[in-house]
Amino acid sequence: MAMELDYDRSLYGVEHQAGPFEITDEIIDRANSSTGETGAAFRSDEGAKEAGYRGRIAPPTLCCILVRQVSLPDVKVKFGKTQMHAGQRVEPKAPVYAGDLLTASSHLKDVYAKTGRSGTMVFVVWETTFTNQDGQVVAEVQESFAKRE
Amino acid sequence: MYLDMHSHSVSSDDSRATVEQYVKWIQVLRKRGHTVDGIVLTEHRKFDFDKDYSDLATQYDVLVLKGSELDTRYGHFLVYGVTEALTQEIDFGDVRMDARALMQAARQHDAIALPAHPGRFGIGLTDYIDQGESFDDVEIVERFNGGSRPGENERADELCDSHNLLGIGGSDAHLTSHIATCMTDFKAPIRKETDLVEALLSKEFQPVWLKDVLTGDAST
Repeated sequence: MAMELDYDRSLYGVEHQAGPFEITDEIIDRANSSTGETGAAFRSDEGAKEAGYRGRIAPPTLCCILVRQVSLPDVKVKFGKTQMHAGQRVEPKAPVYAGDLLTASSHLKDVYAKTGRSGTMVFVVWETTFTNQDGQVVAEVQESFAKRE
Repeated sequence: MYLDMHSHSVSSDDSRATVEQYVKWIQVLRKRGHTVDGIVLTEHRKFDFDKDYSDLATQYDVLVLKGSELDTRYGHFLVYGVTEALTQEIDFGDVRMDARALMQAARQHDAIALPAHPGRFGIGLTDYIDQGESFDDVEIVERFNGGSRPGENERADELCDSHNLLGIGGSDAHLTSHIATCMTDFKAPIRKETDLVEALLSKEFQPVWLKDVLTGDAST
């Protein structure tokens, strides 16, 4: 018998917006501090200009923090009792500068089951696109959550 | 020739290695004196009809073939020689499919399906046999798996010996430097997926560890 996943499929194709997020020097400082980032381009305008940027830039993983600001609906997966965060990955598309205003748009990318040493798990995958004030896509973040039997 | 029969690229949800990284790493292995002729990409629960790695294969002189690793209710199964007709008959995303039906459908469509990492605790074929299940169509299993924990390949060895099964080897690589840690030594030359199925049916192969495949002409 095939495993038919029961969840809210009407969420496919729906975009969930958040923002704008102002990328202040303070936010970049905190992101640097949390990850131990010491790159000159992330710490000052001067360092960034030496590296060829027009001003101070944020570390690429900043959008992995901002993504948690998007309010996502319950996918209502009828499987398992335990849910956990299953990982993130970010694909930087363009520099994020201090002073930028970013908006986020998230959509349900996939819901699928897999089996392994831990038994059967169902993964819910969200994809979020970050865009700056000029309409330029600066990052795409994929975030997964797993439900376990 | 030596083929890594089990590997995952970024096309799988849990791998971070690109095919280009794999074929480049194989150049490193060759410089160290190892023989690695090719890899089979066995992506999880899918088959990538749309992906073409022939340019990379030519550039780096590495045979790059495509297969699948499917979840079944009796553990994971590697599928070689996947055809569109097979994907129409079998739902590759169904993690509860009957492995016996998969094996039969594979043969009907000129492919072959065999158990991956059968000694894996909790999900290997060995556990299901111990529970009383029987798999009469299984003649080949993945005897050497590069992702196994201590004891798991030994369980696969025991399974092969007790059931008179043939074995292949695959790295189960999800990271670049894991590619080709285990391979299969085929007597026949293989150039495409249908050759691979024929070579498996010929039963003229054996699993090997990378460390045992040295030409002795490593460059520094």
